[in-house]
Amino acid sequence: MASRSSALVRPPAFRGVGRSILLTLPIALWSLLMFTPSFRQAGRDRQIGALMVILFMTSLFFLMMRTGETYRWRRIFFVALGFLFPFGFIAALIAERGTMSIPISRMVSGDTPFCFMVTPSLLLPAAFARTIIFPGSILPTASNPHSIAIMIGIWFAMTLVLGKAWCSYACFFGGIEEGFAAIAKRRRLHRFISRFGAQLRLIPWAILVFVVLASAAFFEPVYCMWLCPFKAVTEFPAVRNLTTAIQMGVFVALFIGLVVVLPFLTRKRTQCGFFCPFGAFQSLFNKINLFEIRFNREKCVDCTLCQTSCPTVALSKESIRDGKTLLNCMKCGACVDACKKDAAVWHLKGTPVAVKPERARLLFLYGAWALATMFGGSVLANSVATMIHWLPWK
Amino acid sequence: MRTRILAILAYTGAALMLVVAVCVPFVLMGTFSNAVAHAGLHIDAAYSGGTIVRTIQHNGYRIEVHQPVQPRLLERIEPFVQIVFEPADALPSRVSDEIDLDGDGRPDVRVCFTMPADPNAPLRGDVTALNATYISLTNVGAESFSRMVVRTGNKIVVRVPLNEGPARH
Repeated sequence: MASRSSALVRPPAFRGVGRSILLTLPIALWSLLMFTPSFRQAGRDRQIGALMVILFMTSLFFLMMRTGETYRWRRIFFVALGFLFPFGFIAALIAERGTMSIPISRMVSGDTPFCFMVTPSLLLPAAFARTIIFPGSILPTASNPHSIAIMIGIWFAMTLVLGKAWCSYACFFGGIEEGFAAIAKRRRLHRFISRFGAQLRLIPWAILVFVVLASAAFFEPVYCMWLCPFKAVTEFPAVRNLTTAIQMGVFVALFIGLVVVLPFLTRKRTQCGFFCPFGAFQSLFNKINLFEIRFNREKCVDCTLCQTSCPTVALSKESIRDGKTLLNCMKCGACVDACKKDAAVWHLKGTPVAVKPERARLLFLYGAWALATMFGGSVLANSVATMIHWLPWK
Repeated sequence: MRTRILAILAYTGAALMLVVAVCVPFVLMGTFSNAVAHAGLHIDAAYSGGTIVRTIQHNGYRIEVHQPVQPRLLERIEPFVQIVFEPADALPSRVSDEIDLDGDGRPDVRVCFTMPADPNAPLRGDVTALNATYISLTNVGAESFSRMVVRTGNKIVVRVPLNEGPARH
C-alpha cells in the first residue's frame, strides 16, 4: 500500500521545462531527419504514422530529461515496440501471403526475412564453411528487403554504440515480456529467483553454447527451428508433418511460459534473463561499451531495491558490494530509478564513480535514443500506418 | 594526473560514440552490409539448391540443372539435385520433359506436372527416375527440402532425391 501511494505522488521535477526542451532539441531534430523520407512518400497513413512517432519519441525523451527517470519512459517506448512490431509484421504477412507460416517454397527462393536473433547460430558455419545456414538472401531483393547483409549491418552498427543495451532499446521482442511484467502488481517467485539467481543467469550462456555448436553440427539455425518463443507471434515453418507440428508446439509453449506467464508472475523479463542466447551473446559487447551502471558504496545502504527492480537479474549482492552490475546488464535504468539514496548511477568507464553521473546518462541516452528512434521508431511508424490503414471508417 | 588523462580519454571516447551513432543510418549500416555482402559467403545449398552446372534450352523456356547437394555433418536432409524450369509463365499447360542431369547424353529423370491456371494454386508433379542414381516421386508438392515440385515466383523448382553416394557429373 505504501509503495502504491508513493507511486501516485508526483516526483519533483528534475529539470526546468526550458532546460529540458533545450536538451530534447537534438532528438527532435534527429527524429525529423529520420522520418523526412516518410513525408516525401505518397500515402497519408505513413505520414501520420511518422508524425505520431516523432511526437512520441520526442515527448518521451523530454520526460526523461524533465524527471531524471529513464526506465519508466523507456519502458513505454519499449512495450509499444514489443506489441506493435508483431502487429505490423503479421499484417504484412497476411497481406502478402495470407498466412503467418513460411511455406517451403519461400525458404527455397530465399524470401525469409532475416532476424538478428539467429546471428550467433551463423558464426561457425560462416567462419569455417563460408556458408550461411539461413533460408534468406544475402543481398536485398524485391521480395525480401530484409536481407542478411542489411540486417547484420544494422545490428552490428547499433551494437557498437549500444552494447548489451540493444536488449532494452532496440530488440522488438523484449517489449512483449516487459509489457506482461508491467501488468502484475505483486512479485511472485521472488525468493526462488533470489536463491537460484546465479544458476538461472547461466542458462542463456548454456543455450548459447548449445545453439552455436548444434547449428554447426546440424547445419541449420537450431534456435530458429526449435527454440525461438517469438516464432509464435511472427512467422514459423508451415506445419506439414509431425516434426513441424512439434516445432510449432515448442514455440507456443515457450512463448506462453517465458514471455507471458512467468513475466506476469515475477515482474521480470524471464525470456531475456533466463533463456535468450542472443542476449547472452550481446552481453559480450558490454565489455567494449563505454557506459555502465555503478554503485556508490558510500551512499549504498544495501536495501536491495535495485536488485529487486532489475528486470533481468543482472545484479547480485556480491556485485552490488563490488559497486558493479553483472555482465548481462542491459542498461535499462531500472536500478538507478529505484534507488532512493542515489547510490546507483550512470557511469562512463574511465571517469571517477558518482562524479557527474547525469553527464554520463546524457551521453549514453543521446546515442541510445537516437538509434531507438531510427530503428524502433521506423518499426513503430510502419505499424501505426498499418493500423490507420485498417481503421474501419477509412 | 592519471585520473585526468583517463577521464579525457573516456569523454573523447563517449563523444566518438555519439559520432558513430549519428553515422549509423548514413554510413555505418551500409558499410557493414557491404562487408557482409562481399565476404564471399553463400547460402547453404539445402536452401539455395547449389550452383547451376548446366542450362538446357527449350521452346520458350529453359531448364537449369544444379550440382547435387550432399548433407554436411549431421544435416537432416537427403542428398538431392535441383532442377529449375523458368520462366514459369512460358511453360506449356502440361510439362513432361526427360532431363539429362549428369551430362552423359542420356536422360536420367522424367519430370511431369500440370501448370495450374492460378499461379497461387498448389503445384504437384511426378518425377520418374530413369536410372538407379535417382529416386522417383509420385504426386509430390512441398514435401521436404529434398523432395519437391513447387512454384517460387516465376520459376518451378523440382528437387529429386539421390540414392546414396554422389551423382556423377
